[in-house]
Amino acid sequence: MANLKDIQRKIKSVSSTQKTTRAMKLVSTAKLRRAEDLAKRSRLYAQKMNEVLAEIAGRIECNKVGGLEKNRFFKRIENPKMIDIIFVTADKGLCGGFNIQTIKAAKQLISEFQEKKVKIRLRGVGKKGIEFFKYNEIEMYDEVVGLSSKPEKAKSDEFIASSVEDFANGKTDAIYVVYNGYKNMITQELHVNRILPIDSDAFDCENASKRSMLEIEAQDEEHMLNSLVDNYVKYNMYYTLIDSVAAEHSARMQAMDTATNNAKEMVKSLNVQFNKARQAAITTELIEIISGVESMK
Amino acid sequence: MEKFKLEILTPNGQIYDGDVVSVTLPGEEGEFGVLAHHASLTTLLTSGVIDIEKEDKKIESVLINWGVAQVDEEKVVVLVEGAVAIRGESESEISKALEEAKAMLDDIADSGVAIASASAKLETAAKNLL
Repeated sequence: MANLKDIQRKIKSVSSTQKTTRAMKLVSTAKLRRAEDLAKRSRLYAQKMNEVLAEIAGRIECNKVGGLEKNRFFKRIENPKMIDIIFVTADKGLCGGFNIQTIKAAKQLISEFQEKKVKIRLRGVGKKGIEFFKYNEIEMYDEVVGLSSKPEKAKSDEFIASSVEDFANGKTDAIYVVYNGYKNMITQELHVNRILPIDSDAFDCENASKRSMLEIEAQDEEHMLNSLVDNYVKYNMYYTLIDSVAAEHSARMQAMDTATNNAKEMVKSLNVQFNKARQAAITTELIEIISGVESMK
Repeated sequence: MEKFKLEILTPNGQIYDGDVVSVTLPGEEGEFGVLAHHASLTTLLTSGVIDIEKEDKKIESVLINWGVAQVDEEKVVVLVEGAVAIRGESESEISKALEEAKAMLDDIADSGVAIASASAKLETAAKNLL
């Protein structure tokens, strides 16, 4: 039977941990509300933006409109040689499997491409993921810390711009983004998106040809598409970040809730143990006294 | 008159979603109007004012800074980066919206002509509402 003092000390330490986790949960809940609101409001815009681009990509693919199929942003590349993989993790831990899920998905993507002998450049956002890959001696091409916990449009634009530039110049053949997004209060959803070249797979050529031709009204189509793509990529990156923040807070809230409950259970069982130990001590003492008295008779 | 669906989306949410009779958009190559059954079209928008004519003939104006318009037979989807709708129930609400719009105009570092015409349009839009 454990010492009474030891048990008491343990109870104290567990309940102070419980206080911490409860406070963290409250903080995450408050932050989640704001992040969730932002992510929800932006979601529709991001979806429509992707739809517009996918439609243009699809129509270019189906109709082979005047030379535009050579545009790098829309062209499907069968055998990529070099790709960029961007992953987004949190800067802080204590959020359950949130970071490790993203890391696992990124690793899987990397090995998939390595099998095909594709060179990979890894770009990381978020301290946790960067630390993981550095520890495993996987080289990072570019890294940003602080952006995933506090997304800023200007910084995210800057981050993605260099990647897009390399793509436009032909240095890389695709850009993938891996992140854990927000689904609802209790679930996160892992996303692996190819942001460039723009996906036209979902586009239905048959159906589209029934409708009228798409007219791109601009004297300089190339210019218009480039400016559109630029906005699409930047917004996608920004949306990825805000979606990831919302998911991070929801994951942390949940993890901390579980931790608080576990601590509560533990205090309960420790209290039972403490009472048992105390009772045992009292019983032993009584027996000692009684047997002492008996022997004196 | 026949109507069609118009959606105006910004990164901060949807600011317009409903049936309209016609809409005038500030295209990069000049202003253009859209009625129902317009042919498919995708174009960039510059800073300017979107005029929306609703079923009850009322005109609503939205100031935008940059955007993409996707037009097809059934609907028009406008994606804009920043937008301020000039609307409101009372005089104070309208003037507040107008002020917000003017503040946004100051932020747009674009050609002077576009801004001048947009700001003139805003004034008239606000006057019409009062």
